[in-house]
Amino acid sequence: MQFSNILRIKSFFISYNNIIKMLKIYRNLIQYKDLLLILTWREISVRYRQTTIGIAWAIIQPLSLMLVFSFIFTYLMPTKVSGYPKMIFFYAALVPWTFFSTAINYAIPCLVNQYNLITKIYFPREILPISQIIVAFVDFLLASILFVFFMFFYNISLTWYVLWFFPLFIQLILFTVAMSLMLSSLNVFYRDVNVASGFVMRLWFFMTPIFYSIDALSIKIKLLLFLNPLTFIIENMRRCLIEGRGVIVWQFLIVSVILLIYFFASIVYFKKIERKFADVI
Amino acid sequence: MITLNDIWKQYKLNNITHRSIREDVVNLFKHKPISNQPDGTFWALKGINFSVKKGQCLGLYGPNGSGKSTILKIIGNITSPTRGTLQINGRIAPMIQQGAGFHLDLTGRENIYVNASILGMTIKQIRKNIDAIIEFSGLDKDMIDVAVKKYSTGMYVRLAFSVAVHTEADIFLIDEILAVGDEDFKKKCMNQILHLKKSGRTLIVVTHNMDQMEAVSDRIIYINKGVIQ
Repeated sequence: MQFSNILRIKSFFISYNNIIKMLKIYRNLIQYKDLLLILTWREISVRYRQTTIGIAWAIIQPLSLMLVFSFIFTYLMPTKVSGYPKMIFFYAALVPWTFFSTAINYAIPCLVNQYNLITKIYFPREILPISQIIVAFVDFLLASILFVFFMFFYNISLTWYVLWFFPLFIQLILFTVAMSLMLSSLNVFYRDVNVASGFVMRLWFFMTPIFYSIDALSIKIKLLLFLNPLTFIIENMRRCLIEGRGVIVWQFLIVSVILLIYFFASIVYFKKIERKFADVI
Repeated sequence: MITLNDIWKQYKLNNITHRSIREDVVNLFKHKPISNQPDGTFWALKGINFSVKKGQCLGLYGPNGSGKSTILKIIGNITSPTRGTLQINGRIAPMIQQGAGFHLDLTGRENIYVNASILGMTIKQIRKNIDAIIEFSGLDKDMIDVAVKKYSTGMYVRLAFSVAVHTEADIFLIDEILAVGDEDFKKKCMNQILHLKKSGRTLIVVTHNMDQMEAVSDRIIYINKGVIQ
């Protein structure tokens, strides 16, 4: 497959065909919802079968990172990260980050791993990465329960701004789905994606305000960090959850528009090249 | 019901990875130059025309690498033809691979759900059919709730086959599936396939066993090197 083919994006957004593709992915999900349900269930039960602590693994990852960062910034290099207790400050960002990175890590190899299915049976291919995202979402829900506990423990007072969390979470899902569709399908053609993903995700982790806040940074650095959509999403999630601050509406709208365009493009792209999976994989 | 109009299928051999092509041309790979074109491409199908009516059974016969499986893949919507058009009316059950989606850590019962849903059944339909599936497979009541990795090859294959034949579909694509199990089970499979045919399902069968093929097929097409002979 020619690289230029993959990059051909011309007339992506206006064409009638592409809107049909959008609707088709939605209709497919409704029509194949049982398959999606069963594949998701399979992933979850296979992942935690024969593990002794089972689904508790979902919480251990963000929790251990939280403890390590708290240790580092309390004892090794004492820093005042923010006005809030370090533990909950880190955890509030680690939970959405873990959702994103787990979803991407599960999704990237999922098409290639299911080589046997893809070359033998037709079903809408997007079901595979989407079921991986749902698995990550279940992990996210479990980790969130612990977050609620932390909220009480640290006596964080709730404000109405907490409701901003939900539109921000929708943004996070749009971005996660778009990235997963894009990267998992690219991985079918270039296995480099899977090889690079581990280390790119680690870099990405540091470029996202998880153990720091962008508040005190200069505008130049802020703008640079805002090239990463997760900066906006995760920083604002933390602000509305524990700091009782709202989201600036015009910023939210701009990010939403960019994410919607990206989401749309990734679906059109995925539907376009999914026909070639069976021949190339 | 199924109509193929002048179907051509070209594979590129210089892809970075080409597992599915390797599978199609594995035998050619050893003896002859693979590519039949100077530009490194390979025509797996060269102008295939046929149609199958509802309730008919078509057999495809030919040596390895002749394009039989590629035809099934095109009918099953797994890959698209390079040229040509096809019309299909009805739901397809691709029995091209048995036990698609089977996971060794899951129990037999759980794998029935996974496999049947991949074959296009809804959870409701699976619930309705699960007893029939288990019974047909001939597995013990206590074996069905044991992880599939503890199964013998025969048990695994029998379970997979019985899910496939209980799929609610109009068109069945059957690739070398009759070579499974012991004699008793083979006979049972044969009967089930004849039963499917009698109940008005359309079948397309690929096998190297001429006796079986003649027993089920109304019509047999010979294919060699991507051309109907």
